[in-house]
Amino acid sequence: MRELFPMKQVMGFVFSLLLTVIALAVYFLDMSFATGITILLVTAFIQATVQLVVFMHAGETEDKASIYSNAFFGILLAVIIVLGTLLTMIWDMG
Amino acid sequence: MEFFQRFAIPHPSPAIYASMVAIVLTMIAIVVGVTYFKKWGYLWREWLTTVDHKRIGIMYLISALLMLFRGGADAIMMRAQLAAPENTLLDAQHYNEIFTTHGVVMIIFMAMPFIMALMNFVVPLQIGARDVAFPRLNALSFWLFFMGAMLFNISFVVGGSPDAGWTSYFPLAGNEFSTSVGTNYYMIAIQIAGIGTLITGINFLVTILKMRAPGMTLMRMPMFTWSALITNLIIVFAFPVLTIALLMGTMDRLFGTHFFTLDNGGMDMLWANLFWIWGHPEVYILILPAFGVYSEVISTFSRRNLYGYTSMVASMVVISLLSFTVWVHHFFTMGQGALTNSIFSITTMAIAVPTGVKIFNWLLTMWRGKIVVTTPMLYSLLFIPLFTIGGVTGVMLGMSAADYQYHNTMFLVAHFHMVIIPGVVFAMLAGLTYWWPKMFGFMLNEKLGKAAAWVIAAGTLLAFMPMFFTGLDGQARRMYTYSETAGYTTGNMISFVGAAILAIGFVIIVYNIYYSFRYAPRNIGSDPWDARSLEWATHSPVPDYNFAVTPQVESREAFWDAKKKGHVLFKEELKKIHMPNSSGVPFIMSALFFVFGFGFIFSIWPLVIISGIGIFACMAHRSFEKDDGFYIPVEEVKETEEKLGGAK
Amino acid sequence: MKVDQSLPLEYGTEQNQMNILGFWIFLGAEIMLFATLFASYFTLEHRIGSGPSGAEIFEITPVLIETFLLLTSSFTIGLAIHAMRLGRQKAMMGFLAVTLLLGLAFLGVEIYEFIHYYHVGATLQTSAFTAILLTTLGTHGAHVTLGLFWGLFILIQIKKRGLTPATANKSFIFSLYWHFLDVVWIFIFSFIYLKGMM
Repeated sequence: MRELFPMKQVMGFVFSLLLTVIALAVYFLDMSFATGITILLVTAFIQATVQLVVFMHAGETEDKASIYSNAFFGILLAVIIVLGTLLTMIWDMG
Repeated sequence: MEFFQRFAIPHPSPAIYASMVAIVLTMIAIVVGVTYFKKWGYLWREWLTTVDHKRIGIMYLISALLMLFRGGADAIMMRAQLAAPENTLLDAQHYNEIFTTHGVVMIIFMAMPFIMALMNFVVPLQIGARDVAFPRLNALSFWLFFMGAMLFNISFVVGGSPDAGWTSYFPLAGNEFSTSVGTNYYMIAIQIAGIGTLITGINFLVTILKMRAPGMTLMRMPMFTWSALITNLIIVFAFPVLTIALLMGTMDRLFGTHFFTLDNGGMDMLWANLFWIWGHPEVYILILPAFGVYSEVISTFSRRNLYGYTSMVASMVVISLLSFTVWVHHFFTMGQGALTNSIFSITTMAIAVPTGVKIFNWLLTMWRGKIVVTTPMLYSLLFIPLFTIGGVTGVMLGMSAADYQYHNTMFLVAHFHMVIIPGVVFAMLAGLTYWWPKMFGFMLNEKLGKAAAWVIAAGTLLAFMPMFFTGLDGQARRMYTYSETAGYTTGNMISFVGAAILAIGFVIIVYNIYYSFRYAPRNIGSDPWDARSLEWATHSPVPDYNFAVTPQVESREAFWDAKKKGHVLFKEELKKIHMPNSSGVPFIMSALFFVFGFGFIFSIWPLVIISGIGIFACMAHRSFEKDDGFYIPVEEVKETEEKLGGAK
Repeated sequence: MKVDQSLPLEYGTEQNQMNILGFWIFLGAEIMLFATLFASYFTLEHRIGSGPSGAEIFEITPVLIETFLLLTSSFTIGLAIHAMRLGRQKAMMGFLAVTLLLGLAFLGVEIYEFIHYYHVGATLQTSAFTAILLTTLGTHGAHVTLGLFWGLFILIQIKKRGLTPATANKSFIFSLYWHFLDVVWIFIFSFIYLKGMM
C-alpha cells in the first residue's frame, strides 16, 4: 500500500496546497496592490514549476532538452505578449 | 423559401452570376469525368485516404497553384479598376470584397500551402526518413486546410464575401458595419485551416527532432530542413493567438459578446493587437522556408557548400524569437504612446539584422563558387536585388515617427509586395522547378522556365515600383477609385501594365507544365542537378518507402560527399519496411468540419450540432482504434529498386 | 514494434517517445492559447460597461472548492501513473477513476458558478469584462470536459486490453494534459479570482 503513495508526489501535493494557502493571503489580509501581485506571481510560478518537474516528469528522458526549451520558449513568449499587450493597450495609452 | 434567402448574394453582378454557373458546371464535369473513367476507387485509395507525405505534398501543391490563379484573378480585377481614374469596372463594395479575398487567398490559401507542399515533400527525404512522425495527422492537416479553403472560396457565390480587408479590423468587421455573412466566412474558414497548420507545426517539429538518419546531428542538417524546423516552431507558438482572436470575433458576430464592440466596454483595438501578434510571426513563417529554398538552390548552383552555415542557423533562431517582439509596428498610428512605438521601432530595426546576415552569406556563397544559371538559380539571382528594395523600405516603415506618413498608403502596399513576391513567390517557383524532377520524374523546360522568371521579375517591378512614389505622394490604399486631379493616374496605369505582364509570366509557367509533361524525357535518373543533399540519393520519382535502406550520414553534405569522397551512404542490408496504413478518417472528419463551419457561418444550429457530434465521433473512433500499419516484404523492395534503376 | 524493456512502458517504443514529445509541444501551443486569453483578460478586466465587476460577483467559497478538487485530481492522476509504472493495473484504474470523478465535481461547481453569475447580471453578453471572464473560464472548462471523455475512453481501453505500450502511452499523455489544466487553473485562481478580490 505504501508503494502506491510515493514521497515525491505526496510532498509535491502538500507543497502545492501550502502555496495555495499563501496565495490566499492577498484575499484575507490587507496589503498594497504591488505586494499582492508579487505574492501571486511568486506562488503561481513556483507551483507551476513543481507541476512541471515533479509531476510531469519533464526531465526524465533523452528529450528533456527539447522539452525544457519548448516550455521555456512558450513561457517567455507568453510573458512577452501579456506585457506587450498591457503596455500597448493600457499602460501607455494616450 | 425564406430559409434559402440567407444564401443570396447581397451585391450580385453579371460576373458573379457567371461564376456561379461556371462553378456548378465544373463540379458536374468533375463528377461525370471521374465516373466515366471509373476512377472513384483510385481517387479514394490513392489520394483521399493517403497518409504518404509525398502525396500530401503534391495535393498541397495543386491546391496552392489553383489558389494562385484565384488570387491572381482578384489582383488583375483590382488593377484593371484602378487603371483609369473614376473607373466603373467594379463598384466600391465589390472592390472591397476583392482586395479582402485577394489578401486572404494569397497568404493563407496560396503561400502557406505552397510552403507546406515543399516541406511535406522534401523534409522527410532530406533527413533520410520514411515519413513524418504522425502521418495520419499530416493527412488531417491537409484536408482541414482544403476544407477551409473550399469554404472561403464559395463565399462570393453563397452569401457574400468578406469585405473588411484581410486584416478584418473591428468595428468595421462587426455586425453593425458588416451585415452580410462575409466576415463569418473569414472568421470560420481561417479558423479551420489554422487548426490544420498548428497540427503540421507539431508534426514537423517532432519529425525533425526525432527521425533524422543516424549520424545527422542538428548541425549537419540541410539548410531547408533547418528553416522548416524554425518555421514550425514559430507556427506552434503563433497560431494559437489567431485561434483566440478568431474565436472572439466569431462570438462578437454570432453570440452578441462585447470583445471588440464600441459599447459595453468593448475594445476594437484589441482585435488589431491580437491579430498582429499572430500576423507578424506569420510573415516570418512565410519567408523562412523561402530562405531555406534559396540556401539549397544557391549552394547547389554555385557548386559549393553554403557559406556561414552556423550564422545562417543562428540568424533563423534569432528571427524566431524577435518575430514575436515587433507586432505593434503594424499599427503605429492607432493611439498608443510614443514609448510603446519607440520600443517596437527598435525591435523592428533589430530584426532586419539577421536577415541582412543571410543575404551576405548567400552572396559570399556565390563569390567563390562556379555559378550555373538554371531556372531555380535565376529566381534566386533576381530575388536578391528585388527583395533588398522591399526590405529596406521595411526599415523605413519601421521608424514609427516616419510611419505616420507612410502608413496605409501605397508605399506600404509596395513594401510588402516587394518582399513577398521576390521573397516568397520566387522561392516557391524556384523550389517547384528544383524539386519537380524528384516529384514527377521529368524536368521542366529550362527555356520556358527562364523566360517566365524574367517576365515575372519585370512584371513585379513595373507593378509595384510606381506604388512607392504614389504612396509618398499620398495615395491611400484600399480605395476603389481616385480622381484625375489626385495625380496617381500614370502610376496606376504603369502598375496595371505590370500586373498584366505578371499574368503572362504565370501563363508561361502553366504552359511549361503542360509542355514538359508532354515532351520531356523521363529517364533523368535520381540526381539531374548534381545536387548535395539526401533527397537526391533516391530515385525520381520517389518510391513509397523513400529509401530502400536508411542512409548513414557522416557530414553536412551527405550526398555530395558520397559522390565526391567515396563515403558510403547505404551500408545496411535490405529489411522489410514498416509503413502506416491509409485512412479515410482525416478526409471524413474534415468534411464534417466543412459542414460544421458552414452551419456556423449561416447560424444553422442543427447542422452545427450534428456535424459537431460527428467530429467527436471521429476522435473517439481514433482513440479506440488499433492500427499498427503494415510491412513491405523484402522481395517487393528488391523488385521496386530494380525496376527504378538499382539501389545506390 | 520494438519495445525497449529498460524504459517505462509509456516510453518503450520509438513511436511512444514521439507521441510524448509531440504532446509536450502541443502544450507549448496551449500555453500561448491561454496567454492570449490572459492578455485579453487584463486588457478588458475593468471595462465593465453597465454590468458588474469581478469584485462584485466573485465568491471565495466555490473558487476554493474548485481549486482543491482540481489540485487533488492532479495528485491522483500522478498516483495513477506511478501505479502504472509498478504494473498495478487495478490501482491505476482506481486512481484514474477518482481523478475523473474529481474533475466531474469541479465541472459541477463551475456550472453552479456560471448559473450564479447569470442570476446576478453577469452574462456573456453583458460587457467586455464578462465576455472575457466567461470565455477564459469556459475555455478551461471545455478542456476539462474534453479531458473527462478522453480519460474515460482510456479507462475503458485499459479494462479491455490491459497495460500495453499503447495504453500506457495514452495514459501518460493524458496525465500531462491533466497536470497542465491544473497549472492553468493556478493562474486563473491567482490572477482572475484573487486579483479581482484583493
